[in-house]
Amino acid sequence: MKGVGSRAAATAIFAAVALTAAACSSSTSSGGGSSSSGGTILIGVPVPLSGEYASAGTDILHGAQLAAKNINASGGVDGKKIQIVSQDDACLASTGSQAAQKLISQGIAAAAGGYCSTAAFPELEAFHRAGIPYVMDASTNPELTEQGFNDAFRTIGRDDEQGPIAASFITSFLHATRVAVGNDNSTYAKGLANATVSALQKDGAQVVFNNALTPGQSDYTSFLTKIGQSKPQVFYYTGYYPEFGLLLKEAKQLGLTFTMMGGDANNDPTLIKTAGSAATGAMMTTAPLAQFLSSAKGYVSQYTAAYGTGPGPYSSYEYDAVGVVAQAIKNAHSTTPSAITAALRSISYSGITGDFHFDSVGDRAPANYIVITVKNGAFVPDKEYDNTTKQWVNVS
Amino acid sequence: MSAFLQYVVNGLTSGAFIALVALGYTMIYGVIRLINFAHGDVLMVGSFIGYEVVVTLVAQHWPIALIVLLALLAGMAFTGGLGMLIERVAYQPLLNSSRLAILISALGVSLALEQGAQLIFGAGYSAYPNVLSSAGFTFAGARASYVQVGMIVLSLLLMLGLYLFVHKTMAGTAMRALAMDKDAATLMGINVPRTILLTFMLGSVLAGASGVMQGLYYTEINFFMGFLIGLRAFTAAVLGGIGNIPGAMVAGFLIGLIGSFSDGYISSEWSDAIIFAVLIAVLVFKPTGLFGERVAERV
Repeated sequence: MKGVGSRAAATAIFAAVALTAAACSSSTSSGGGSSSSGGTILIGVPVPLSGEYASAGTDILHGAQLAAKNINASGGVDGKKIQIVSQDDACLASTGSQAAQKLISQGIAAAAGGYCSTAAFPELEAFHRAGIPYVMDASTNPELTEQGFNDAFRTIGRDDEQGPIAASFITSFLHATRVAVGNDNSTYAKGLANATVSALQKDGAQVVFNNALTPGQSDYTSFLTKIGQSKPQVFYYTGYYPEFGLLLKEAKQLGLTFTMMGGDANNDPTLIKTAGSAATGAMMTTAPLAQFLSSAKGYVSQYTAAYGTGPGPYSSYEYDAVGVVAQAIKNAHSTTPSAITAALRSISYSGITGDFHFDSVGDRAPANYIVITVKNGAFVPDKEYDNTTKQWVNVS
Repeated sequence: MSAFLQYVVNGLTSGAFIALVALGYTMIYGVIRLINFAHGDVLMVGSFIGYEVVVTLVAQHWPIALIVLLALLAGMAFTGGLGMLIERVAYQPLLNSSRLAILISALGVSLALEQGAQLIFGAGYSAYPNVLSSAGFTFAGARASYVQVGMIVLSLLLMLGLYLFVHKTMAGTAMRALAMDKDAATLMGINVPRTILLTFMLGSVLAGASGVMQGLYYTEINFFMGFLIGLRAFTAAVLGGIGNIPGAMVAGFLIGLIGSFSDGYISSEWSDAIIFAVLIAVLVFKPTGLFGERVAERV
């Protein structure tokens, strides 16, 4: 009950802040949105603050607030302060639509946030109709930026970018020519498997096995025996950690020696508990967590000091989403949404999650995925793709 | 050739776990003509009890062999009690009502166990500590671990124990008599409610043993794990001629082998479809099961 009470209190505070902020912004926007006059710039953050994903949403909101705090501490944007206004989207399409409408009516200059792709679709639609740019930090569904909206952006990679990156690692770093790919028939895993298979073939590797298993079964020994028959050098599994943990364990028991790699749904401690010593050496492609990035070290310690917990998987991407919006406002010397959009399209930003710009549809470019390896019972960052030397190097 | 032998080894291992569960389905059907849909969930509960024991004792650094033994005994004892409780609460009052009422009661027990386990143990996956070694040997190109062999031997011993109990003891004879003819058994002075209770206990103990063995062997368990193995074991019970104990043992291994071969030679995504196609085919063409002709030998 304590948690609920404090969340209700937090919502009340946000509402109060939002109201005063809205009043402020309407008074400044009547001044024509010219640069370097005092006042605040509102950035809207729609995230789940209730329901199953409330803790992920709270992490993201904290990331946004830290970004605003740091920007304001160093003088704000053209003399104005950044103000974060949040709305609960509950990870639902219907609530997401309402959350976006509320933020728009509060007079936000731009939106940066989101968690669930389900809620992000109607939010994006609403922001697009109001002409407000939306920088998403955690929604990875490829379709989001493929709708022809010029004001949709994203600071995180998308599901179908991981395949080519995994293929590049397998062929150019592991030098594998025979690769097996497995999935669990879920939409996400199948999509990643297909993207990986076509990229592998383009890179000249032979895909010797490409099939799905049935999740929830405990015994995958015959599935693995069949993979072993196809004599791969690497097996890339795109499904989730409960099955991958069993696959690792059972492959060791069967004496199979090919390299085992997983997609970004396998980065879970349960995998190590299930597989035990068999997990050692298993690799996964994943978007880098803040704690794996040297550029985000300051952020991790600041976040931990401020909120008493780790920054979660996505708040660093939200930190950069707010940061890139602030940079765009600075570049445009304007808080008009259309000017911010135009500035975002041509921006080149150096954030805590790395250097990036936005491609023709608004996706982060270059996509950043790293390879992590299980060592001594923990996930350790291992290799990253260096875009300047076009090579896989150790994570610094 | 080596792959074929490997598929046989894999199939026999999963078959051993299935056979133990199939026995419970078949015994319970034998005495009260009920397909006990909660049976797979009894296995799941046993698996979680074993998990608690293993986690607690591993933390105390007890010897592995003793931990395994205690986990098995605790899981079997708890599920035996649970089976009797379920029978008394959910089935006994409905024994004389329509078949449908007792079937719906079984579904209700299944849901109650699943949701209850989800509340107590959480919705996520739990993993047994990896206490068993993966060491093994290679034979004609196929690899088997010592633990795998141990699991198969242990399940065979449990089945042998059950067979001897049913055929060599007075209580077992009472069970067989009840399965043949309930009214005649009553007339012969057999305590029917007690015999039914005993049957539930034995079936649940075997399910509990299978649950703990699977937990130790595969390590990963969750509140929903009883569903799939329950369906496969039920298929085995039908395949062996429901009510037929030796039939269920053989058919359990057979279902394991079918699953393994279809994983290996067809495709893993089709395995369940193939297993349930076998179930439908048996129901249509040979409703008494592969070994169903030995009606007089039921339970």
